[in-house]
Order: sequence, then C-alpha cells, then structure tokens
Amino acid sequence: MALKKVLLAPLDPVHDIALKIINRGLRQAGFETVILAPDLPLEEIIQTIIDEGVETVLISRTLGYGVGDLLARFADLTDAAGIRDKVKIAVGGMSVRPELAQELGFDAGFGPGSSVDETIAFAEGREFVKKSNLERKHEGDMTASYTYNVKHNRIRELLGQITPMILDWAEGKTSPGVQRAVIREELWDVKKWRDHAEAKEFSAEYPKYCEESVREFYTKGVLHPKTRLFSQKDVEKLKAYVWRSRRDLQTPYLQHNLTRPIIFNQYGTGCPYMDIAHIKASEAYGADGVVHFDPSWGARTEGLYDGFLTHQEDGTVITPANLNRIYRALEYGTLWQVRAHRGLNTPETVVLAGKIGANLTKINICYGSLGAGTDPSRLTVDAIAAIKYAARYKMPFDVVTNEELSGVPAYKAFAGMLIVSHLGVALGGRPILQPLFCFSPEVMIGGQMNDNYVDFNMAKILALRAIIDAPIWPGAPIGFLTQTEDRVQSSASTAFHASLAAMLEVDAISIASSDEAYSGGPITVASRIDTLRAVSEGFRFFGHSRMEVNAKARQWADKMVEGIEGVLETVAARGDFVQALYDGLLGSREDGAYPGRAGADTVVQK
Amino acid sequence: MTVPDVFAYVLDALDIETLLVCASEEEGKRIALELAKKLGFKDVDIVFIRFQGSGVRVRIRAYINRPGDQYAWLDL
Repeated sequence: MALKKVLLAPLDPVHDIALKIINRGLRQAGFETVILAPDLPLEEIIQTIIDEGVETVLISRTLGYGVGDLLARFADLTDAAGIRDKVKIAVGGMSVRPELAQELGFDAGFGPGSSVDETIAFAEGREFVKKSNLERKHEGDMTASYTYNVKHNRIRELLGQITPMILDWAEGKTSPGVQRAVIREELWDVKKWRDHAEAKEFSAEYPKYCEESVREFYTKGVLHPKTRLFSQKDVEKLKAYVWRSRRDLQTPYLQHNLTRPIIFNQYGTGCPYMDIAHIKASEAYGADGVVHFDPSWGARTEGLYDGFLTHQEDGTVITPANLNRIYRALEYGTLWQVRAHRGLNTPETVVLAGKIGANLTKINICYGSLGAGTDPSRLTVDAIAAIKYAARYKMPFDVVTNEELSGVPAYKAFAGMLIVSHLGVALGGRPILQPLFCFSPEVMIGGQMNDNYVDFNMAKILALRAIIDAPIWPGAPIGFLTQTEDRVQSSASTAFHASLAAMLEVDAISIASSDEAYSGGPITVASRIDTLRAVSEGFRFFGHSRMEVNAKARQWADKMVEGIEGVLETVAARGDFVQALYDGLLGSREDGAYPGRAGADTVVQK
Repeated sequence: MTVPDVFAYVLDALDIETLLVCASEEEGKRIALELAKKLGFKDVDIVFIRFQGSGVRVRIRAYINRPGDQYAWLDL
C-alpha cells in the first residue's frame, strides 16, 4: 500500500520549526512527507501539491497584518487549480483558531497548544480525541508490582520473630476505637446513608463507645465548639462551584516523559469548601492525588462527629458528610488518601474512608505513638484492626516516619516502619514505605547535609531497597525543614527534592505548598500551584537523566542497614514490641520521642 | 445584571510582592503594613521579608477569605 503523502509549507519568511516537529511526527506515524523551504511563492506551492500528488497540505503562518488576505488567496488558488476538493488543507500558527481557519477556507486550524497528534489525526482523516491527563493518572495500585520479599537475611529473621510477638500480645484485646470500627463496619451502610435512610441500630449503638462530647452530638445535637454546620443552600453553591471547575478541565501531566513518581498534595484547611478549592486547583495543575489532614483534637477524641462541618483551625474534621462531599468533588483518577496513622479513631477512619471510596490510608504504630501522642498499647491494638480493614477495603497504606522530625534517627524510624510494614503484609495489607526527604534534627546535628541534601536522602532509599522489595513514597512532605517563607526558595527546594525522588525512581511523593514554612495564616491555593509548577519544571529539566550514587551515600546506606538490624535485634530480644515502644528502643526520650498518652488504659480484654 | 465586587473573585488571599526602598527590615515591615492599610486591606500579614542592599524584598499577604468564612466566589 502506498504511503499517504503530506506536504508541509511554511508561509512565514523564516519560522518553520513547528512544521519540522510535525514533519518528524508524521514520518514516525508512517506518512511520506514533503517539506518546503519557507516563504515560497503561493503559486509554486500549489504547483508542488499537484506535482507531488499529496493528499494533505499543512501550511504554517503567524497571523499578522495582511496575513488573512494571504491565506484566503492561498485557499482561492487551490480552488482555481482544481485541487481544493482532492486535498485536505490545514493552517497552523500562533493566533490561529479553528473557526478562523474555516472562515478563510481551510479544513482545519491549529493554534497554540495544538499537538503533533492532532495534525496526525487530521492527516489520517479521523477525529482527534484529546486524551485527558486525568485518564493517564494512576488509579492503579502502586504496590502491585512489589513482592515484599525481605532480602536481608538477618532482618528477615528478626521481623519474622517480631510480627508474631505483636500479634500474640494483641490477641484477645480490644478498645473503644476497635469497637466503634466494628459498629461502623457492620451497622453503617454508606449507600443507605447517601440515600438519607435512617440507621437506627447504628445510632443507638455508636454513641455508647464515644466520649461525652461526641455522645452529646448524637444525643442532643451539640457540635464541637470549633465547628459549625453548612446549610443546604451552601451545599448547592458548592455543587455549582465544583461543576464550574470541571468544565473544560484539562490537566497537565507533571511527570513529563516519566511514569513515576505519583504526586500528592496535602489539604486540610479546616473547611471542606476551601479544601475542595485546593483540590480542584491541585487537579487543574496536575497533582495525581490528595491527602486529607484532620485536626489534632480529632485524633484525641473518642468517636467521630457527623454532618457537613467547617472548622476554625487547621485540619478538616473527619465526618462521613465531609469525606463524602470531598470524595464527590474529586475527578476520576485522582487518588485520595485519608490518614489514620495516629489517634483514637484509627480503625474507624479506615472503615469510613474505605466505605466512602478512599484509595489509600496511612498507618504507623511507631510514629503515631512516639511522635503523634497516642498511647503505644492503644495504637497497637487499633492499628492491627486498621490494617485488617485497609486490606479488606483494598487500600494500601503508607507507613510514615515523621518521628524523624522529633529527632529520632532515620535508622530507628526505619526499623519501626519495617516492623509495621512486615506486620501489615502478614495481615494481608499492602504497605508503602514512607521515608522522609527532610532536613531532620539528626542531620542538623550530625552534619550529613552540610554539603548537600542529596546523599543522605539517597542513602535512605538505597538502604530500604537493600532490605525489602516494597513501594517507596517519600514525604511527607518532601524537603521538610528545607523550605523557607520565600516562595521562590520554597518552590525550588520542593522541585529539587522531587527531581531527586524521580531520579531514584520512587513510586510517589507528597509535596508541600510554597507556604510550607509560613505559619502566620492559612496556606493559599496559589502557593500550592507554585510548587506543582516548580516540580513540573524539575521533571522537565532532568527527564530520565540520573544522579550518580557516590561513596558517601553508599556508606550511609550501609550504616543505616546496620543500625536498623541493631534496633530490630534489641526489639526481638525484649520480646515485647509494645514495651519496646514505651522503653524507647524505637525512639527514646533523649532522641525526642515520647510515648503518647491519648487512649492510655483503654485497652481491654474482649 | 449586577457585577460582583472584584474581591468576590479572590479565592483566599492577595499577595503583593515588591522591593521597598528602606534602611532596615524593621522599617520595611512598617512600610509594608502601611502600604497594605492604604490599599484598604484589613486582614494582613507579612509572609516573607528580607532586607538586603537598598531595601526589603517583601511578600505582603491580604486575606480576603479565611477557611470557614462565607466565600463570595461561591455566588459567582
């Protein structure tokens, strides 16, 4: 079969770069092409079309004074030459619009933002369907390709001892948090709730396991003092806003020509409306996923409120109505993580998030109890239940290691992360390792980042990969404590960390806004866009290029693996994981880790 | 048709970035806040300020909406 022939003619005196790019695309797509020199007389172009017997003609011309007449004359000449009905003709260039092209007598017009694929579709005579980047997003499971095989022999043995130790300790124990999760799981039907059906049994049972303030909400309608309810009128306005945000939404693909990492943005302004505005802007600027932040008082409260509630401070209250409204505002393909890593509502949060439609959650006994205020016994019991629910709802969970920010050295935090991950796999879950890419107290004191931020972060990834075949999602957010209130510096730092993450081929990253270091007021939406744009530039700049792993990074990685093994030895020797947490084996008071007290003495035998 | 107040279009805040000619960071801060006041903003903060050379590089922020407010952009 003869190749289809396309003629490309730049009418501009000099500019023909776009046509050269299209020429390459057409050739790769199997077309035979003829590309002319710029600025030839129109009659000569017409004659070439006839001589070459082409089926498609693409001409380019930047619009300007008199150009409309020139293009119209070109169209007339094709008529006069008797080729107009035999040849498809399109014009492209700055300021060209399809409607204008049609008006001038062309079959199509390609203006700024048009792609090579569009011109190929035109030459092939088929309709061009622009592939939405939302469709390209990664609703797939980032854990799917990992085996969780522990490659390091001794660490495998130690984790193999610690996991049954934790499960044996937790056997027969429960907590009010676990009981509420069971009630939420068994007596609360999300479909019926969405249809406003009454859940009598749930309403009767649930408050029994809540603390007084939450119970008063269910029995007397008393709201938490820092919250207020939205009206139905507000809801209608929100729906209209979401609808407007969706219209013509075209999202950029931030990763350029990479497939990883997935990019998560955090939200949690306190107000679900403002959160949705942050989410819609994040989606519009290419974020692949969003992470829900709840207020810290919510984690210290036994029981979850309900209703569409706004909150006066940071963190958006977890209620079925808030989560549901946010879920419904998400675009198809946007990943959604609801955190359940600390506090007294961990298993129930996982159940609720799973029922409403979250893709991911966050669980870590060690960070939640050593760096986020929850009693180790309570969180161990609750996290086991939470992991089981996460597995049931097919929600992978990251095992965050933010205790590093309190001063716990990376190797201790990683030992805890590996324990929880190994436990997670044993319970049927799909954990994701979440090392911090941060300027932690450990390195501030130790000087590992005095020269650069690269080697120590790289060492973390090398160490984890030497131990286990598991997904890695640095966070949270990357570059923590490197950012300042200067938005250029903050965005640049985030972009550099993101680029390093991409070079290390990690699976995902969480990024901050350029307001990360500003504490005087709420984070603005514009500051979220700043870092998304910066990260995109980083990916564009580096593409598939890689950074060399130097001796320092290898040395630190080896030391980290050694340290992790040492910590696991001490935990295994203690014979009691929970006691090891209280005793500081996974982060001590000297390090800056304090076992939390929320939920102390609430674990009971079933 | 009534045209909404232009501030109704602001999602959360306005940032004003500039270099103010002054002799110190303190003076720059005072001028920045005075400038924001003169422009009619009430809920104002300085996100970033650095004195170097001839003045301060500053980012002044004026919140139009804080989370939990009644947002005028919902009525657009």
